[in-house]
Amino acid sequence: MKTLSRENLNLWLDGLAAQQSLIAPHLEAQGVFYRPVQRAQEIAWEADRPALSAKEFLFPPSERLLKVEKRGPDIRLEVSPSAAPQAIFGLRPCDARGIRVMDAAFLETPPIDSQYASRRENTLLLGLACRSMGASCFCTIMGLAPDDPRDMDVMFTDRGPTLAVQALTPRGEALLAGLPIVEEPGEVEPASRREVGGLPTAEAWKESFGDARWAKHGERCLSCRLCAYVCPTCRCYDVRDEALPSPPGEAHFERLRAWDSCTREGYRLTAGGHNPRAAAGSRLRNRLLCKFVYYPHQYGPAACTGCGRCLDACPVNLDLLEIGGALQEAAQ
Amino acid sequence: MSISETMQSTARDLLISGQVQRVIGFEASPRGRVRPAIIDRPEEAERLVWSADCTHNLTVYLQRALNRDNGHASREPATPPARVAIVVKPCDSRAINVLLAEHQFSREQVFAIGMACEGIRQGAPASAPEATLQERCLRCRERVPVVHDVLLGEPPSALPEALPDEALAHVRGLPPAERAAFWLNQFDRCIRCYACRQTCPMCNCPTCLFEQEDALWVGMRIAPSEKRAFHLGRALHLAGRCVGCNECERVCPMGIPIGLLNRHLAETVESLYGHRAGMQAVLSPVTGMLSAEESAP
Ligand code: SF4
Ligand code: SF4
Ligand code: SF4
Ligand code: SF4
Repeated sequence: MKTLSRENLNLWLDGLAAQQSLIAPHLEAQGVFYRPVQRAQEIAWEADRPALSAKEFLFPPSERLLKVEKRGPDIRLEVSPSAAPQAIFGLRPCDARGIRVMDAAFLETPPIDSQYASRRENTLLLGLACRSMGASCFCTIMGLAPDDPRDMDVMFTDRGPTLAVQALTPRGEALLAGLPIVEEPGEVEPASRREVGGLPTAEAWKESFGDARWAKHGERCLSCRLCAYVCPTCRCYDVRDEALPSPPGEAHFERLRAWDSCTREGYRLTAGGHNPRAAAGSRLRNRLLCKFVYYPHQYGPAACTGCGRCLDACPVNLDLLEIGGALQEAAQ
Repeated sequence: MSISETMQSTARDLLISGQVQRVIGFEASPRGRVRPAIIDRPEEAERLVWSADCTHNLTVYLQRALNRDNGHASREPATPPARVAIVVKPCDSRAINVLLAEHQFSREQVFAIGMACEGIRQGAPASAPEATLQERCLRCRERVPVVHDVLLGEPPSALPEALPDEALAHVRGLPPAERAAFWLNQFDRCIRCYACRQTCPMCNCPTCLFEQEDALWVGMRIAPSEKRAFHLGRALHLAGRCVGCNECERVCPMGIPIGLLNRHLAETVESLYGHRAGMQAVLSPVTGMLSAEESAP
């Protein structure tokens, strides 16, 4: 196994932060969040999974897609500039997989989303293996593991005074070149795993479409968007043109997009006022069936990485594992 | 009989006798979290529980169940129940009064199962048994719901001294520039997930001002100026209406002290008008009412 001393890693991270934006788990009064940090010292090493995923650094809560400036008969369109380089360190395997899941829709299925593509191109994924699974984590059901390196550029495993290092991509290898890496005998200790009860198959999820329990769950759901906004894979957005302050005689507008979620009441509202998903239960069903049926069907991967955030965050305890577990029991 | 069993039998009797068609209460999840339970059949009553982890303000579900005319009609079951029983703590029961004053439903449509409350624990709905009480409960001196049709539990004869609101005194004591910086910093953390609004019984506008399709007043961006507009606007809409159940703050994923802002408004309204939201079924003095001529187009 290849290792790097903690001291050297910190030096290297400090250097990285001086050159580009370094994002890492950061402890705040309100909890742990992925945030830009200036120095390795600011990183929350011991922290549990951050409260929000890292998706906001590739798919920001809101962003300008286009600026329109109208001066008399002249109309000028301005597409937003490309992204600056950034590195996300301390990324959890479930969050790295979340980025891979977004890739499937934004990059791998035409048309390519140019804003996302430019950020993705400029982002390094530097993983840190979880030592064990948290109380609500179920990444193992989703085919991942707490120390799964597959979606990273470089994976680190904390071993106390040293960290095991593994480059997974040519980009990762280039990054490590020149670092005082030591070859040590032995293998990296695997993280401890916890087996979690199963979820239905895609087929069983699909068959649940007419299940009466969705309406029951819907009675409890508040139709907020908390579950979607904490989720590493929920990537729905709304697009709108909004006016900007303009100098006299001119009219400036921007086309922007912002996070949205199928759980909110107006999500599927159509022109003319018809709402095909007027019932809260049908929206909740859409969110879960999107994860396990629609998204895999359209783009390939399941749109859930087992991070367990929505289980913890839902104010009224709508729990994907419990809902899915009950459906699976009924299917058997 | 334990208090949960008393609650179960109360709910069962109400459903069997047909006095109500639905009971909104609390249950425990398989993973041990307390959560809202909405039951329509007597045999489901055995799910109900009462404990110091029953933190939710269930009155948010009342309008959805009862009010066909509030713009949320699409959420309703095909035939809305004529009368609904709901489990309320003293703070929650005040929300019923606010909503009654605002004509969201009528008193006859609600059967309030009032709980003699000794406070809710920190970390609820899944707190450790030794957890201390929530701060809002340490500041609260109400033990009996102002609205109830039946009272379960024994209100304690002597009340502990209510804790002064040090957080509010502190923030009010800050010099204006520092106070503004404190609040703006807090608002800027918001991700506009609207969990605070959706969990609030008083945020019942069919279309929220801050989420209009046309962005005429507040745009769609999840950026500082929109977040600030939302927070300041929402706080004003709740002035004299917020009952202090603190649900908005509990559900916020970003840990924004929304309750602190609401308490500031509540105290301001109380000192100016002597009004405390929901102690009676009267409108907030800050709620504007257009007289006949003014409301004409
Ligand atoms: S659906 Fe829930 S558990 Fe799955 S990735 Fe999203 S937040 Fe995590
Ligand atoms: S499932 Fe929970 S978090 Fe998601 S919209 Fe419903 S109430 Fe909000
Ligand atoms: S914030 Fe204001 S406009 Fe929006 S729902 Fe609440 S009271 Fe209504
Ligand atoms: S719950 Fe918190 S993050 Fe969500 S909209 Fe309200 S204040 Fe903002």
